[in-house]
Amino acid sequence: MASSTQASLLLQKQLRDLMKHPVEGFSAGLVDDSNVFEWSVTIIGPQDTLYEGGYFNAIMTFPLDYPNNPPTVRFKSEMWHPNVYPDGKVCISILHPPGDDPNGYELASERWSPVHTVESIILSIISMLSSPNDESPANVEAAKEWRENWDQFRKKVGRSVRRSQEML
Amino acid sequence: MDSDEDMLDASDSELMYDDDLYSDDGCGSDKIDGDYESEDSQSFLTRRDQRYNILKEEEIRQRQEEDISKVSGILSISRDAACILLRHYKWNVTKVHDEWFANEESVRKDIGLLEEPVEIPNSTELKCGICFEALPSSNMRAAACGHHYCIECWKGYIVASIKDGPICLGLRCPEPSCNVAIDHDMIKKIASSEDQEKYSRFLYRSYVEDNRKIKWCPGPGCENAVEFFLADSNNDVMCNCAHWFCWNCTEEAHRPVDCETVTKWLIKNSAESENMNWILANSKPCPKCKRPIEKNQGCMHMTCTPPCRFEFCWLCLDSWQSHGERTGGFYSCNSYERAKKEGVYDETEKRREMAKNSLERYMHYYERWASNQSSRQKAIADLHSMETEKIQKLSEIIREPETQLRFIIDAWQQIVDCRRLLRWTYAYGFYIPDKETAKKQLFEYLQVLLCLVCVTKNYFENLVRALENGLEDVDSSSSQTSTSKNEPTKGKSGKNKNRTTPAGVTVEDHWSCDRCTYANPASSDRCQMCQHQV
Repeated sequence: MASSTQASLLLQKQLRDLMKHPVEGFSAGLVDDSNVFEWSVTIIGPQDTLYEGGYFNAIMTFPLDYPNNPPTVRFKSEMWHPNVYPDGKVCISILHPPGDDPNGYELASERWSPVHTVESIILSIISMLSSPNDESPANVEAAKEWRENWDQFRKKVGRSVRRSQEML
Repeated sequence: MDSDEDMLDASDSELMYDDDLYSDDGCGSDKIDGDYESEDSQSFLTRRDQRYNILKEEEIRQRQEEDISKVSGILSISRDAACILLRHYKWNVTKVHDEWFANEESVRKDIGLLEEPVEIPNSTELKCGICFEALPSSNMRAAACGHHYCIECWKGYIVASIKDGPICLGLRCPEPSCNVAIDHDMIKKIASSEDQEKYSRFLYRSYVEDNRKIKWCPGPGCENAVEFFLADSNNDVMCNCAHWFCWNCTEEAHRPVDCETVTKWLIKNSAESENMNWILANSKPCPKCKRPIEKNQGCMHMTCTPPCRFEFCWLCLDSWQSHGERTGGFYSCNSYERAKKEGVYDETEKRREMAKNSLERYMHYYERWASNQSSRQKAIADLHSMETEKIQKLSEIIREPETQLRFIIDAWQQIVDCRRLLRWTYAYGFYIPDKETAKKQLFEYLQVLLCLVCVTKNYFENLVRALENGLEDVDSSSSQTSTSKNEPTKGKSGKNKNRTTPAGVTVEDHWSCDRCTYANPASSDRCQMCQHQV
């Protein structure tokens, strides 16, 4: 079904499921109850990482042809990470449109597929937080710092974790 | 001219060389072997034939079909699988065979081709992996891997992928861990007829686009492809649509200029580089905000536009506050004059001067390059009107079959080509370093062609004019005969009446010079072009 009804039914279903059976590590809801295409999620910084203890807010925006095209995810909280653009947009391979990428960095199997759900996307983001990919960084400076100036990187992330706690 | 013999020669060459090249009569070759039959043109023709081959849509489809059948027959796989395999190896049949027989298993793994398809589980209700709806198994479809999704979700998946362009040809199962290829059969079962059409089109086009030896003709609206055999110094290809292009860079044919120079020249024309040169030559940056400023009038006291509003002296670019009586007042700047004498400003001034010169030089070449293109367009339009209507009228007037008048078309074609050549000499000339005199001489020699074009062109324009006058004569002969009255009816013109052009054209009030073939008015007895006395 190419229409947006399929997208909204599928998103409503996922929302119901997540309400009934919450998944450890994040919570999700709608930004505005009348719009099922915009979600607000809070990701809890994974244990044993620099982000531990942080509560990071992000907005997921779904296209009308979801699940055939991926949503975009943007952190509202401050996020210092090699794979997050300075404006908060998350850059991971599964959020890229389907098909092979022309630069050959990613395999088709690592890109968007309609089988992905809110849950699988957020779990990918949580795994991104624990193991950044510095080969094709979205935030070059953060990637450089992560590689070369670990102390500085740790301090910046620590600050963002504290700020996210204060915002609660 | 002895056209019967020509025809024989032409058909001989057809038999001797590539036969599918001449499978239909639309080939450009008849244009060449029409009248200028000589040993030279014969060898030119055969050389051309071996270099490339123009393919029409039917031929491309036929070849694609043959390749698919061949691979599917030899490897005993389905046609759809053969398609996927061929596409993966860029339609190189030999490569497919080599790889397949070297290691079938790894090839199958790479392209996602399972030997044994996995059946969808045989239960009454199944859950779709995309929309998570539980549906009867009859609503489920799966590729060879058995990962099943409902028809609606498949539709969305395939539609989205076809929307993304030719990439849909490499579609795989939606399950991220599975790389099984989605074949044409699945598309046929699921997609709308419009999307199927698009998919087939992409598949057809991939035969040309993925193949290193075949390229689309870049001519506007042309659907032909060109297969190129020999990579030598001559990359010029002329498609049946009359578009003449370079096979290597697919820009229009540009010999003797090499592809690199052409690219450089075209980038230079389109890019901002010349704007930058202009800015450099004619403006100075505001000393404060660095925006370029062009001084078009007024005194040296400049005020930058808001929000900067910086006031400065145009000559020394220093703040206006430091100016006044002691620096020489409003109309001159002593600090500038002094510094100039000391040589401080020399370098920037020199650079500006050089930029200005180089800009003028570029404009010189560009204008000529561009105007030759517009002349060429005009010639193409003339050629077209000649082909479509005038030749017919001319043949009616002089009662000669149109086939005898083909040389006129050839000549127009020649003019078009000369214009093209001439046009590129300007790109060539622009990049000749001043030191290389030999090159410069060759360049100037080439440009002599300009004169040749003019001569030929004049000749034909006169011929056309004669034809048009002739038409007037015919049209007006019933009502008035003023034109013929104006013509002198001396004995000489009577003699000239019988003069013919090489192909036997008799133009009543013109005669054609024996030496240079220029069409002279009947009133003169000396050739206006070469001064040859009759």
